[in-house]
Amino acid sequence: MTKWIVSLCFLLLSQLATATEKVVVVSSYPQEVISQFEAAFEKKYPQYRLEILWRQSRDAMSYLHQPHSPVDVYWTPAQRNFVMLAKEGAFHKLDIELQGLPKKIGGFQISDTEGYYVAHETAGYGMAYHPAELERLHLPVPTDWKTLTDPAFDGRVMLPIPSKVGYAPILIDTLLQSYGWEQGWQVLSQIAANAVLADAGATFISDDVGSGRVAVGMTIDFFAVSAIANGKPLRFTYPERVGYSPAHVGIFKEASNLKGARAFASFVLSDEGQQLLFHPDIRKLPVRPSVYAKKPQGYFDPFAAAQRATYDYDVASGLQRQDVVSALFDALITRHHTELKAMHQALRRAEQKSSADVRLAEARIHAYWLPLSLAQINDATLQQSFIKRDGKTESIEKQWDAEISAHYAQATRIALTIAEGKP
Amino acid sequence: MNRHVLSILIALAAVQPALANDAAIAVNDATREAYTQPVPAMEETDRAKFLKGRGLVRQIWVIPPSENREIAGLGPLYNRLSCIACHPANGRGFAPENKDEPMRAMLVRLSVPGSDPHGGPLPHSAYGGQLNENGVPGVAGEGRAEIRYTTHTVTLHGGEKITLRKPSFRFTDLAYGAMPKNLMTSPRIAPSIFGLGLLEAVPDSTLVALASVSKPTGIKGKINLVWDEEQKKSVPGRFGWKANMPNLRQQIAGAFVGDMGVTSPLFQQENCMLAQSECAKSPSAGKPELNKEQLDATEFYHFALAVPQRRDTDDRRVQRGAKLFDQAQCGACHVSELKTGEFSKYPTLANRTIHPYTDLLLHDMGEALADHRPDYLASGREWRTPPLWGIGLAQKVEPRANFLHDGRARTLLEAVLWHDGEAAPAARSVKQMTLQDRHALIRFLESL
Repeated sequence: MTKWIVSLCFLLLSQLATATEKVVVVSSYPQEVISQFEAAFEKKYPQYRLEILWRQSRDAMSYLHQPHSPVDVYWTPAQRNFVMLAKEGAFHKLDIELQGLPKKIGGFQISDTEGYYVAHETAGYGMAYHPAELERLHLPVPTDWKTLTDPAFDGRVMLPIPSKVGYAPILIDTLLQSYGWEQGWQVLSQIAANAVLADAGATFISDDVGSGRVAVGMTIDFFAVSAIANGKPLRFTYPERVGYSPAHVGIFKEASNLKGARAFASFVLSDEGQQLLFHPDIRKLPVRPSVYAKKPQGYFDPFAAAQRATYDYDVASGLQRQDVVSALFDALITRHHTELKAMHQALRRAEQKSSADVRLAEARIHAYWLPLSLAQINDATLQQSFIKRDGKTESIEKQWDAEISAHYAQATRIALTIAEGKP
Repeated sequence: MNRHVLSILIALAAVQPALANDAAIAVNDATREAYTQPVPAMEETDRAKFLKGRGLVRQIWVIPPSENREIAGLGPLYNRLSCIACHPANGRGFAPENKDEPMRAMLVRLSVPGSDPHGGPLPHSAYGGQLNENGVPGVAGEGRAEIRYTTHTVTLHGGEKITLRKPSFRFTDLAYGAMPKNLMTSPRIAPSIFGLGLLEAVPDSTLVALASVSKPTGIKGKINLVWDEEQKKSVPGRFGWKANMPNLRQQIAGAFVGDMGVTSPLFQQENCMLAQSECAKSPSAGKPELNKEQLDATEFYHFALAVPQRRDTDDRRVQRGAKLFDQAQCGACHVSELKTGEFSKYPTLANRTIHPYTDLLLHDMGEALADHRPDYLASGREWRTPPLWGIGLAQKVEPRANFLHDGRARTLLEAVLWHDGEAAPAARSVKQMTLQDRHALIRFLESL
């Protein structure tokens, strides 16, 4: 009998030794990120197997709001979803070791102040450029976004459309918050006058810069920096005031494998997990400052950069107004790009002809006219309309289109009058 | 003697040193992105299609139902989430290091004795033609394949000792019943996916000529005849470890449905067997999930992927290695030069001289490599000669990349040493080389 019990125990133990438990993770990370973390996590914790349910941001929210099999962890770059899910009470408070993980990079809040989710990594916004192409065109290496407003960059810049390119909304809002609402749009307008607009699928701005189709691309860093690490002859530079797009990790209240969920969340935040971000195929910015001591040569350190220059970025406001800003960008730039370019060409000619002409001020008022003030953009009802794309937005956008067309036409007319020396 | 045979004989007789690939179809890129570039001859007008195809190959697929209909369709059963999960940066896959590590860039093909109506392997009634380790929520993954290795050491001329590992497999966590005793299995790592358009553009007549041309003693070479799903007839096979796929389109569509459960115009049925009732009830994202336009773009992307240009051809060790490659008769199967024919699917690839180092034929590779699983006309000991172009960059593109069908070889030398059967004399020659010559041979392979 004893012998039989011993063999049964042995059998059970051997079963336990080989059994693996799933840790179910919703994510929208690219395969390269998933592959590296999956391999490292499962090597460290052979008792767990990662099961990735891959969903883009909007799709993930739909999935999570419908009846579904339990999900343990949300691990993804989709900050707005984390804010909403935390508000809905979907997350456990993170009861894992978080020491050594600051909640801010300079003035940029990256983690939840309430502790329901925490930044796992961040990406920064900047400019990918082709040094040989800049040299050939006798263009300066850009040091700030404003460098790209120089008419010498005409046709040489790539600007992503925020309603089409996933990472672009925060990039655009970074300019609007760092330069201020009106000046920010002026800078964007001037850059757009020089720019080729990047549509969906523009996750490879590095391709366009690498091939010489454009000389500089405004982009999130990791696409370009990873391409550089893998051999592309490009460079990447950050502006003085860097904007960040953090990705987060949170554990769901519905988690069926809480222990595994904690193991995974702890792993991605650990020294080992954070150092995986240095991998040439990933090149994201760790949020654990201590790991920068082991960074590859030339790797950007956002914590060090924040010591040099910082500004307070209002994350909550940026996320809430994201859809209205994107709609406004489409009205001011995407749908009127040809008119906008012609208008700036006329303005530049007018400035060359007579920079002291008082009519230039009037032309600029029309050129930089905005349908919404800062106060209006922060109106919660308007923001909700654009988030939900309810029936009101179409007529609002039609009205913007008509007004913008009229203002651009007026600015162009005045500028041409000056340029042609007419009274 | 026809024109093809003549050109092949010329190729077989060629000395290797500087067989540079045509600049229109090869890229001077030795970086980790070397396998991801379009052929330089690609027209700008084809760029959008190439990028669309690239997007689909890089895409992680979504379990239906999903708001993102165009990328939905993963499962109900699947191995991995995306093409590049198994073909990292378009390169080759790798085998697990030990029993605890899951198969992340390889799979196990399954069949039982007999053949399907077209002469192909007969799938297992409950598990189908390959083990899908994962299932969507509510559908049990089929099970796990654990890998274990036994090792033995080979001593080469000059005293160099090389440890070779031989894998064996065990299934665990089987969700649809025990596997039968007569089950035939064949583990396969994912091959690299560049340069395949050029291989498809090699005319069938060249394969026929290569099979019939006189070769060194003991070396044969056989065409596999496989089912073409679009033409509904048997044609020469040329893709896959056993040349069991007739063309890239079928290879791609087969991988989409087999590895990811994504249906396409070519294979419109989800990958569920009769015994898998939950699988059959699981929703599809569409009929098919990968539409014709997407399949076209993915096929075009594969057609247009360039081969990396050779490197270090001026290096004297590389030149010496090339001579040794010829002397050891490696080139009898790893044919250095072929010519593409007319190719209406992508005329840019037509009438090019290429250096793939393959004859696309099946060869008996001996007992140690045998999987004992026939695949159309390929016996359990026969494997298609894999192309060697670009192989020198394999572990730069993916440091974990392995060689041979089951990834047992961790280095190129290990791969050479496993050669047996028709290739036994070549392997013997390598074993008998001086250490310096062996290094030169490997340097040559690394230059490809």
